[in-house]
Amino acid sequence: MKPNITVIMIEHENTEQLNFHSFFDSWLRELNSNLQKLASAASHHHDNDQIEDDSDLHSLIHKVVGHYEDYYNAKSKGAKEDVLSMFSPTWLTSLEDALSWMAGWRPTTAVHLLYSKSGIQLEARMTELIPVLSCGDLGDLTSNQMNQIDELQRKIIRQERGITEKLASLQESAADTGMVDLSNMESEMNRKEEDSGGKDIDQRVKSLLKTKKDDLEEVLHMGDSLRMETLKSVLEILTPLQAVYFLIAAAELHLRIHDWGQKRDAT
Amino acid sequence: MAGMCCGVVGEADTPSTVEPSGGRQARRRRMEIHQLKFLATTASDVAAPPPECCRKRRKVENLETIEKSVVVEDLSLPVECEKVVQPCDMMRKEDCCLESSSETEIVLNSCKSTLETVVETVQDEDESRFGVTTVCGRRRDMEDAVAVKPSFCGDDLHFYGVYDGHGCSHVAMKCKDRMHEIVKNEVENGGESLEWKDAMATSFTRMDKEVTEWSEGASISNCRCELQTPQCDAVGSTAVVAVVTPDKIVVSNCGDSRAVLCRNGVAIPLSSDHKPDRPDELARIEDAGGRVIYWDGARVLGVLAMSRAIGDNYLKPYVIPEPEVTVTERTSDDECLILASDGLWDVVSNDVACNVARMCLSSQTPASPLRSPGNEVSVAGGESSDKACSDASILLTKLALARRSSDNVSVVVVDLRRNL
Repeated sequence: MKPNITVIMIEHENTEQLNFHSFFDSWLRELNSNLQKLASAASHHHDNDQIEDDSDLHSLIHKVVGHYEDYYNAKSKGAKEDVLSMFSPTWLTSLEDALSWMAGWRPTTAVHLLYSKSGIQLEARMTELIPVLSCGDLGDLTSNQMNQIDELQRKIIRQERGITEKLASLQESAADTGMVDLSNMESEMNRKEEDSGGKDIDQRVKSLLKTKKDDLEEVLHMGDSLRMETLKSVLEILTPLQAVYFLIAAAELHLRIHDWGQKRDAT
Repeated sequence: MAGMCCGVVGEADTPSTVEPSGGRQARRRRMEIHQLKFLATTASDVAAPPPECCRKRRKVENLETIEKSVVVEDLSLPVECEKVVQPCDMMRKEDCCLESSSETEIVLNSCKSTLETVVETVQDEDESRFGVTTVCGRRRDMEDAVAVKPSFCGDDLHFYGVYDGHGCSHVAMKCKDRMHEIVKNEVENGGESLEWKDAMATSFTRMDKEVTEWSEGASISNCRCELQTPQCDAVGSTAVVAVVTPDKIVVSNCGDSRAVLCRNGVAIPLSSDHKPDRPDELARIEDAGGRVIYWDGARVLGVLAMSRAIGDNYLKPYVIPEPEVTVTERTSDDECLILASDGLWDVVSNDVACNVARMCLSSQTPASPLRSPGNEVSVAGGESSDKACSDASILLTKLALARRSSDNVSVVVVDLRRNL
């Protein structure tokens, strides 16, 4: 009776993992196609600086943001089915896994990405002999934008710390009295090779682990919300063209880290 | 700094190969901007500029090794060509400012006046014109603090201070709140016979004493360090303070933040960093019975990478709060004063900083009749901020981040030009 339940549970979880895995693969393909669109839009605006109509950029940005939202919606649905698989994602490479925070990218990396890309575009312009004052790219961040980014960064760091603390408590609760008590009861039982009371313990283990999973799901949700909120906040600070450059950098980094990780995992 | 070169490069000298984009060409012609040129000074670059893509890539790869210089041509930009400050950005910023901290007050002030139409301001020679940028950058803790207090003591004495905290931010914050008040008090006490060096030295000592007493007496705090001794004793801050008078620049420094004067295109440091391996500092520390240990750089007792600071009780008497004070007579050649934390100086040389700042200043020489929106001096609540200086401080900050500064970056640029 007992082994069967386990088998069913494993099968169930595998299904969910497989579902998300195939979703993720197609999501990545779409990210790649979005990247092409973003890159061509950026070069179009870059070469024709008289274009004043940003509406094509707006709709493209909207589409790309929607694509990220799809990811988090699917993730949230997947977590409802099986939160643990989200914390040991088979669809990510070990490199991505090692770099991840709360089963995803660390929100403050968005600010670092912005600073790095902005710096690269600024330095590139300095070698290109272009007048320093206007290019419309991320090297052009104004004083207002820098202040807003700085404010945002400090806010995200605070929120990140809050969520990290929450996960810390959750992880510490792995050794709370309930867990220790139950682990002891089951061990005693194993020692005495008793069968009676086994069902009762299974039931208690299940409900105790359920609360842990619920807490994990909540933390995961907080992490994902902060990721999405950060992305949107950064985009709001930027002009449409800058936002396109940012999304390009984000997609390139995301896709290439995945590639690099795959190469490494294959060896 | 190897390879610095400053000179005038005419339009004709511009290698045409680096301009592949027709759009940019067009824009450049349309704007008729006399270019600002940042040239890599490696031999290959000067001799034969490679195509754009190569330059870019090598630039990224060799960021640390290629020292660039700024070659500034005639920078009298037509006003209508200046960076357009988009009204929508300003609106958004104002929304944001309303709920943000006091550090963005200056920006708020400038937003407000921009939104109100153009303000014609007659430049007062004694008026303070400055720009401030202070960002967390690539660190997770903000420990820098900046204080800008125009007319802090009478109408014509202006105060600028940059404080870079370590251990926690509370000493730097305390300096930001109090230093100018203490200095004001000392200046007033000095009266007619004011000796700047004494007044500043006393001010720093008083500041240090206040910090110590405050940490001892404080019971509630939301600091990272939670004011728990002994950690609290291990908290301190650099302090570089400039008092600008109608005829003098008084710079007092303690630690490794720095003040640099740009005079006629030349960068003149007005402070000297207090590093434990500076020969006189090393001798002073060892005479006091301390030791400098090389562990990730020279550190006092192997701990602190600077030899003077406000706070840091546990390292006294090796680490002292006594400032080095320089008093510099102002001249008509003075362009600007840059105060910054090591987040800037670690990656940008004095010369480059000076060139970048003067480029921003000269590109926006305020010519009253032609002044465009977003370029005016705004004055509110006794604080004024200036677009050109602000552009300079922001560009220096961006340059520091571009050069991978991993620290908080704080930059103050003060316009010292007269007779504009």
